[in-house]
This record gives sequence, C-alpha cells and structure tokens, in this order.
Amino acid sequence: MTLLGLDLDYVACIVLFCVGLYMLVAKSNLIKKVLGLNVMETAVFAFIVTSGMIDGGQEPIVVAGSAPPYTSPIPHAMVLTGIVVAVSVTAVALALIAQIHAHYGTIEVDELKELP
Amino acid sequence: MRTFALALVLVVAATMVIGIAGLPPHGDPDGPVHTHVGARYLEQGVAETGLRNLVTAVLLVYRGFDTFLEVVVIFTALVAVLALPSATRQPPPPRGEGAAASRREADDAVPVSPVVFLVVRLLAPFIAVFALASLYRGHVTPGGGFQSAAIIGAMMIALGLVFGREHAARLVPHGAKAWLQALGPLVFAAVAFVGWRLTGAFLGFPADEAAYALREAMVVVLEVAIAVGGAVILAQLFMALDAPS
Amino acid sequence: MSVVFDAVMLLLLIATAITVARARDLVAAVVKFGLYSLVLCLVWQHRGAPDVAITEAAVGAGVTSVLFLLTIAKTARSERG
Repeated sequence: MTLLGLDLDYVACIVLFCVGLYMLVAKSNLIKKVLGLNVMETAVFAFIVTSGMIDGGQEPIVVAGSAPPYTSPIPHAMVLTGIVVAVSVTAVALALIAQIHAHYGTIEVDELKELP
Repeated sequence: MRTFALALVLVVAATMVIGIAGLPPHGDPDGPVHTHVGARYLEQGVAETGLRNLVTAVLLVYRGFDTFLEVVVIFTALVAVLALPSATRQPPPPRGEGAAASRREADDAVPVSPVVFLVVRLLAPFIAVFALASLYRGHVTPGGGFQSAAIIGAMMIALGLVFGREHAARLVPHGAKAWLQALGPLVFAAVAFVGWRLTGAFLGFPADEAAYALREAMVVVLEVAIAVGGAVILAQLFMALDAPS
Repeated sequence: MSVVFDAVMLLLLIATAITVARARDLVAAVVKFGLYSLVLCLVWQHRGAPDVAITEAAVGAGVTSVLFLLTIAKTARSERG
C-alpha cells in the first residue's frame, strides 16, 4: 500500500513513534513518560519487522512443508534483543520512579522542578 | 511545553517521512534486506548451524555477541533495580492537592476475584508446558530461549500476583537464587570460552560435520541457560518492584 | 483480505496509542498499553514473525504491564496537571 509514493506501513510506524515522542516530551507525569518511551520502542520494532517481511513469505523456519520465500530472520533476531532490552530499561526506570516518589512524594516533573 | 512538543514531533515526523521516501518498498524480494547477508543465512543457515529455526540460528550462532550482551543487559538491569534502596521506607505525606485522593485510592485494595484465582491456577500448568515445549521444540517451531524465558517469567509473575509474593518466591530455590540470576551471562561466557578453545574464535561454534553433537550440545546449553536465567530475572524484577512500601 | 486486515490493525494500533496518550487515569493507560501490545503481536504474527509475536505477547502485554501497575500502586494513580 502506498500513498503519494510513501509506504503506508512505514507511515503507520512513524505515527506511532510520534505519539510516543509526544507523550515523552509533553507529559509531566513520569509514568506517562515511560509509557511513551515504550510506545516509541515498539514503533521502532514494528518498523524493523516490517522492513524484513517479504510478499507471500513464510516464517524463517526451514522444515518439511515450508518453502521459500522466507521472511528475513535478521530483523526478528534484532527485535527479540530489543524487546528484552526495552523491558530492562522499563524496569530500571520504574524502580527509579518509585524511589523518586518515596523521596519527594510526587512523580510530576512540574512539581519536582519546584522543589528546593 | 505542549507547543514545544508538537513542534518537535512535527520536525521529527517530517525528517522521518523524508527518510522513508528513499527506502525501497517493503516486501520486495529483491530489496537489500533479502539480498545481502540475510539471503546467505537463509541458504546456508540449516547446513551451517543445524538449526531449522533460523531466528534461533541468527541469535545464537551468527550474532552470538549481540545475544551475549543482551543477557548481560538484562542482568545489569536486575542488579541496578536491586541496588536501589528498594522503597522499604514509608513514603512521606504526598504534597499538593490530589494527594488525599491518591491516598484513598491506594487504600481500597480489591480482593482477588475467584474467577481470576481459578483461571490462573488452571492455566499455569498449561503455560508452563507451552514454555517448555517452545524451548524443547525451538529448533523446528517458533520458540527458543528468550520466548520461553518470557513465558515462564510471565507465568511466575501471574502466580505471584494471585497467590502472593511468598508463594512465587518459593518457585525459585533460595540457595540457588544468586546463581540462577547470573546463569545467563555465566553460561554464555563459559560456552564462549569452550568455543574459543575449539575454534580459535570467541563464541565460535565448530562447523565441521564431525562436531555436530558438540555444536548441538552448546546450543542446547545456551538455550536452557537463557530460558532459566531470563525467567528468574523477570520474576526477580517483579519481586523487587513489588517490595512492600 | 490481507490488505484489509493490515489496514484495520494499523488503524487500531494508532487509535490505541492515542488513547494511551490521552488517558488521565494511569491504570487505564497501562491497560490500553497492554491492548496495544496485543494488537501489535497479532500484526507481527501476520507478518511472518511468530518468534517476535510470542515474546511481545508475554513481555510487552504481560510483564511490562505488571511492572507499570506495581509502580502505580506505589505512587499515584491519576496524572495531574
């Protein structure tokens, strides 16, 4: 599917990325920011998986009954790595947020800025 | 802030749209994704690695360094979370308006519904069997170390949510906990050095026909280590964030 | 068929992402993020990436959501400002 020469699947990934970026920058709540970061990450994963697909392709598992064309396995391996890194980043960020709340009693960046 | 965010988003979106305008259409069999090294993996992968699931082959054999460091990353994340003085102290009284409301919300905890209780108890063994099957059959069906680590980890977290953290903590033997958490990086390093001794390359896998069984054994050890270590780390992340405040 | 499925799924993805961004209640935002992850996992299964789909279903929709909910339980439930 293309529109004005742009691949709409890629455009969808860009829209998702931008929604995540908006959440990351515009929201004051730290949890909302981390959610936005997750949306951005998944948008990038969706982009990578989409780039590896092939028309009429099967999953890259070469067994009896499967035939080429196969989708490229490299993007899948990259995204698997990325998903695990994403959950690590999320866990550390959330632990830090819980810590910030325990110390300052708020997780709103606006209020944190006004603290002495 | 909102205006700035919108402007930033527009600039980034415009840049990325210009970027994708120059990309070849996806799904094209002659695209660069399918003609460079990916094509070689698809043609030679089964013969070179003995793995029929080429995603696993790329993860463990062709791109072993990525996977090694990924295991180190998730282990480091656990270390970082555990290193924080986990919020064991009572939080100070919240400031500002809305604080009282959030206090009230935190207080009315909902008891676990019997439906959820029963469903989790009924499903847990099936989830465990699915995870083990995706590990055991990971070379011929979708699945493998990371997938089963994620499934087992999610199952342990579900059990911990429904039956309480003490119950879930018992799933990981206490004496072996530290070793299990570090299982992924340790086993990966050990296999990498075995590969070094055998082939002269760090994380190398013997490629000749004679060493087929040895290569198979190295892959199986890595998969099991990733699955067990990953699942334990995910469960421990849950425990650390769930520590009573 | 495939084009229709893709279009519906991508529109659903964008719609869920926007509702995640708009939700004031953080628990609602996290639940919507879980839905977003599940839709994404269907898309990936459809695009020939079952390994990624399994992992996303377990990690994205399961583990990440639980970690978020635990943190929300410790901090504040509603977004201010």
